[in-house]
Amino acid sequence: MTESNERITCQELTELVNDYIEGTLSSHETALFEQHLNFCDGCDWYVDQMRATIATVGRIEEEDVPTDVRDKLLAAFRDRNRT
Amino acid sequence: MPDVTLESPDPAAAELELVERLRAGDEAAFEALVARHYGTMLAVAQTYVKDRAVAEEVVQEAWLGVINGLDRFEGRSSLKTWIVSILVNQAKTRGVREARSVPFSSLAPEGDEPAVDPDRFRGREESYAGHWRAFPGNWGRSAAAAVQDRETLRVVMRAIAELPATQQTVIRMRDVEGYSSEEVCTALDVSEANQRVLLHRARSRVRAALEGHFDD
Repeated sequence: MTESNERITCQELTELVNDYIEGTLSSHETALFEQHLNFCDGCDWYVDQMRATIATVGRIEEEDVPTDVRDKLLAAFRDRNRT
Repeated sequence: MPDVTLESPDPAAAELELVERLRAGDEAAFEALVARHYGTMLAVAQTYVKDRAVAEEVVQEAWLGVINGLDRFEGRSSLKTWIVSILVNQAKTRGVREARSVPFSSLAPEGDEPAVDPDRFRGREESYAGHWRAFPGNWGRSAAAAVQDRETLRVVMRAIAELPATQQTVIRMRDVEGYSSEEVCTALDVSEANQRVLLHRARSRVRAALEGHFDD
């Protein structure tokens, strides 16, 4: 139990959220962060939004490679295997 | 599609298998590998050479280096780390030659960039200073569904494409390609603190773009 008058604001939380998700906050900061979440739906949703953002970014798999680039690289790859 | 995500039960074994396929001349495996890494490589190259066309050339030259070096790859680092190290060398050389070299310190985050528009919080003179004026939306279950949605994915890809090259590089390496923060720091020679700030800013901007998309 953290019993202190120390608090973080919503604005501060939005700057700490990625360190929280990354697990790089100190245990003291983590306690303050979670204490805030217990009483603030807005920030709870904000953290969820950030997690959903990361999950969506993680779904990017492949991107278009310009056709001429792809053809050129494939040709070089074939050449390698011929020698 | 060949498995080049390297996320199978034993990543090291899967990677060795992929390298064997490449050495044996498996074109589908090579094509998938290029598609998988192209966007990130372009972003990395653009942190060294500003000109997009030159950055594209650098990426192509790096791939030629990968093709030629396949037999020398010993698996001391992961394949993607090895590919990026070839790219970074190529980009540095080219950056110097073009005299457009961006100093490495430019990977350091510039200036102040709040994660959320400060106007959305109550001001210093007000009660509850620093607290939301209006809560951000509860995406709730719609978020889980949206993550699967193609249009949402396009919004995210567009938002990433608009990021500064440094932020783009870090979010792609970390969240698209699954590098650890240590791997990013080593590959780009950037400090852990800077890597964290760049990732935070990139994710915050992409979140804001998604918020705009959901609020529409």
